Amino acid sequence: MNEAISSSGPSAYRVVVFGATSAIAGHTLRSIASERKASFLLIGRNETHLSDTTADLISRGAEARWITADLCDPLQDWDSYLKEDTWDLFLIAHGSLPDQESTLADRHAIGREIDINFISPVRIAAACTRIIERQKSGTLAIFGSVAGDRGRQSNYLYGSTKAALETFTEGLRHRLAPLPQASVVLLKPGMTDTPMTAGIRKGPLFSSAESVGALAWRAIKRGSHVAYLPGWWRWLMITIRSLPFFVFSRTKL
Amino acid sequence: MKRSIHSWGRLGSVLADVDRPQWRDQIHLSPTPILPYGLGRSYGDSCLLTDGRMIETRSLDRILNFCPQTGRLRAECGISLDEILQFCVPRGWFLPTTPGTRQVTLGGAIANDVHGKNHHLVGCFGNHVPVLELLRTDGTLTTVHEGDPLHSATIGGLGLTGIITWADIQLAPIQTSLIDAEYVRFRGLEEFQQLSSESSGTWEHTVAWIDCLGKGSSLGRGIFIRGNWAGHGPLDPHKAPMVSIPVDFPRFALNRHSIGAFNSLYYHRFIGSTKSLQQHYSGFFHPLDSIDGWSRIYGSKGFFQYQCVIPTSMGIEPINHMLRLIAASGQGSFLAVLKTFGSIPSPGILSFPLPGITLALDFSNQGESTNRLFSQLDQIVREANGRWYPAKDARMNAGDFQASFPRLAEFESLMDPGMMSDFWKRMTS
Repeated sequence: MNEAISSSGPSAYRVVVFGATSAIAGHTLRSIASERKASFLLIGRNETHLSDTTADLISRGAEARWITADLCDPLQDWDSYLKEDTWDLFLIAHGSLPDQESTLADRHAIGREIDINFISPVRIAAACTRIIERQKSGTLAIFGSVAGDRGRQSNYLYGSTKAALETFTEGLRHRLAPLPQASVVLLKPGMTDTPMTAGIRKGPLFSSAESVGALAWRAIKRGSHVAYLPGWWRWLMITIRSLPFFVFSRTKL
Repeated sequence: MKRSIHSWGRLGSVLADVDRPQWRDQIHLSPTPILPYGLGRSYGDSCLLTDGRMIETRSLDRILNFCPQTGRLRAECGISLDEILQFCVPRGWFLPTTPGTRQVTLGGAIANDVHGKNHHLVGCFGNHVPVLELLRTDGTLTTVHEGDPLHSATIGGLGLTGIITWADIQLAPIQTSLIDAEYVRFRGLEEFQQLSSESSGTWEHTVAWIDCLGKGSSLGRGIFIRGNWAGHGPLDPHKAPMVSIPVDFPRFALNRHSIGAFNSLYYHRFIGSTKSLQQHYSGFFHPLDSIDGWSRIYGSKGFFQYQCVIPTSMGIEPINHMLRLIAASGQGSFLAVLKTFGSIPSPGILSFPLPGITLALDFSNQGESTNRLFSQLDQIVREANGRWYPAKDARMNAGDFQASFPRLAEFESLMDPGMMSDFWKRMTS
């Protein structure tokens, strides 16, 4: 099966994805597979969903395999998962958009949200960085969010984890700057129609997971430092950031 | 979440609980009646369920298996024909048959057993679906094969036999994405008949456009369109639409003068009686897909499509009669299509095509006068033992539906009792 268009051999673009079953990540991988010979290692929680995603990528001519793992488990030794191969792209895509009110009322839930949106990505990124330094090449791409650009009453818990992640990513980029073959890309989707936003009424600012996935791949190829997806979110967020507080405080953003 | 949702005819929207599962194991079943919803390209109410639960399938768009040697593709129900073509054309494969738009899901294509310009040679879409998986509302997952009663009920079963989770389709090999096409002008239905029968052996794809406003000597004039896959050339998939219609057109935009002028220009668009050209499959099969949201040109009141089939034995006169009535009414638009169906039977119990001629016309919704015309047309179809296409319908008479689909009882015994649609309520209550 798939021999005629299968990608094998050393020239395939090698990708490892954490949180591979997220809707945007799924479309990012599809964009990669439809454009070049690629080999994927998908890491996530749900076996059925990982196997469906793998089947889709293989059907599209890629090589793909999956492993299940708890991405928030501090005992996971990510280095050992990845040491067998060399990697072109590390994609960190997991995250959670909680209901803010109920989370803030629950001390344990607060910890869990910070864990999944910040601590776990940092642990994984630290391992990826060690590999990039050893290889002296590779792209680390992490999903942030426009929510990290200014604390807003509607989602400041989620937003602050993404802001922290942005600062961490910025530092990593600084650290890896001496390596010309290495890059760190922060992908910042705006509002996207995915299961994460299922409970929110969709307005004209929403983009499809498909288009955001395709734009994410374009930003990764370019090695952009910070990519807003789609790009016009940059200008919208600059506007929101620059609102003086006496104006901002009257909004319901 | 409660959401208002409409079909392609934009005749009105309904309020329903809409669920959009991301994975096949997240399709939530419930005691409330459910109905799957793909891209909403059914024209009337067959894809709607007022106050029910609608399962939007678009995120179930994965390709689960593809064999490049045999062209057999297994994909989830929510993948669109557009996405399948993007995938398979560069690999030298094409859909076994394609309707006039790519913007339908695989599940929708099966549930409506859609047909295309090659019906006379390959039958319907459902003739090329050897196996599919069905999720029934009692929670059982069944793999159904060609020949199984549940397979025959699901092909053309309007989404009422369970949710199609995935299906296999047998693709057809192509050498290039180009079609050798020929456009031949005809002056009446006699000539259409002649062109149709002389083309059926040598042309893989045939269809005709007719000027439904042509009266007197212009009655039944049109352009016969036929094509074969070219022998060699590039394998380029189609491009995304360049133009989109974001708002409803005002009511005065389409009237008998603007449409008459368009039709006349279209009829006279080339010199001589025949024009040959090589064109991309997109322009040949899906000309309207280049304009996103084109149905808005019919204005905010929406539109109807009237599609019926007249059995071969009745000859051409019933169609002539219908065209005379339509021309005299001054209604009808530039989308008027004639196609001769072949005799390959579909496995589908409720499949629409019959050996004969199908006529499809768009009518903007002008209320009572449109309804009056439809009643007259219904009478002709009824007397000719013809039938109407549920996928296009928003106003068919329940008695006509029951009389013209003789295997209805057999279908009802195979239906999923937990599923319902507004169309089905209207036809059976």
